[in-house]
Amino acid sequence: MNTQELTLNLQAYVDGELDAAQRAEVEKCLAKDADARTLVTGLRQLSEILKQGEPVAKVSDTREFYWSQIQRRIQAQEKAQPRSTESVSTALSWLRWLVPAVGVAVVAVVVTLQHTAGSAAPAQKGLVENKGQTEAGSTVFRSESEGVTIHWLN
Amino acid sequence: MSTSLKHDYAAAPDEELVRWSQQGEAEAFEELVHRHRDKTYARALMMLRNEDEANDVSQEAWVKAWQRINQFQGESSFATWMTRIVINLCLDQLRKQKRARVDSIEEMEEESGGVERQLPVTVTNPTEGLEKDELRRRIDEAMGKLTDAHRAVLVMHEFEGMEYKEIAKKVGISIGTVMSRLFYARRRLATLLHGLKRERSE
Repeated sequence: MNTQELTLNLQAYVDGELDAAQRAEVEKCLAKDADARTLVTGLRQLSEILKQGEPVAKVSDTREFYWSQIQRRIQAQEKAQPRSTESVSTALSWLRWLVPAVGVAVVAVVVTLQHTAGSAAPAQKGLVENKGQTEAGSTVFRSESEGVTIHWLN
Repeated sequence: MSTSLKHDYAAAPDEELVRWSQQGEAEAFEELVHRHRDKTYARALMMLRNEDEANDVSQEAWVKAWQRINQFQGESSFATWMTRIVINLCLDQLRKQKRARVDSIEEMEEESGGVERQLPVTVTNPTEGLEKDELRRRIDEAMGKLTDAHRAVLVMHEFEGMEYKEIAKKVGISIGTVMSRLFYARRRLATLLHGLKRERSE
């Protein structure tokens, strides 16, 4: 471990960021290195000082005026983009309906495809049966099963 | 936003106010704003070092909080959740201004291996005997001398108790950079506070 690594590891030790093995290694080093001990003491001391003297600041506006400014911003935002009224759990609850809905959709698609496949043959047949009319300037498509007749005019 | 008073908002705990806010009661949210506005503003001011920007960003944080209040599940305290919102907005603001890249001579030193030359941090408590207000003022002054990049990491770790990993993710840097920035910020702060002790004893 070079000096820089050691320094940053000592800091990580103070910050509680090391696992058990890394902590043991740092503690071994602390036992024999006075500079390392001084650094650890200094870092702990600084953290303590910062905790005691965390800078504070106060909003100078009155409660009413401050709130009125926020209210105005909220109203402006809500005009542009309405507030989400769904919590994460509510949003996720839609998933309960998604699974059966997908199932119903799949069944519907399969049924439609089968139906289309079943009706394709008569449709083709209809087209072939009326091929003669194509030469007369129009094409007629008739599906017996659907009971539909379509005329294309050329 | 409704206007009728349904509850004794001033006497209610934060958790209750959050629940009512989630049901759309603006009065409950207004009470939360009142309780936590100073802390929110103070955090923004500490990060941005500019009163107007801090005021603007902290108000924006309240707007976001209202819009996302239904996403708050109570994993942390409301105050912590709120501070995370304001910190995110401050980081966005710093990124926008690219202030994190300005005055980066110190960062270059730090990232080219300056850390090892900076032992030890401090030996004696340079702020011993100071009144609390005076201590706060001196720390604030010293923090103002850090670069935005160093101060942001220091605030997130020392005052918000955020882990290296979380800071790295929020700022978009590696954990190694978080560690070196944090060390450099602490070292600089300690030096500034040490200078204060010398100044007082003269």
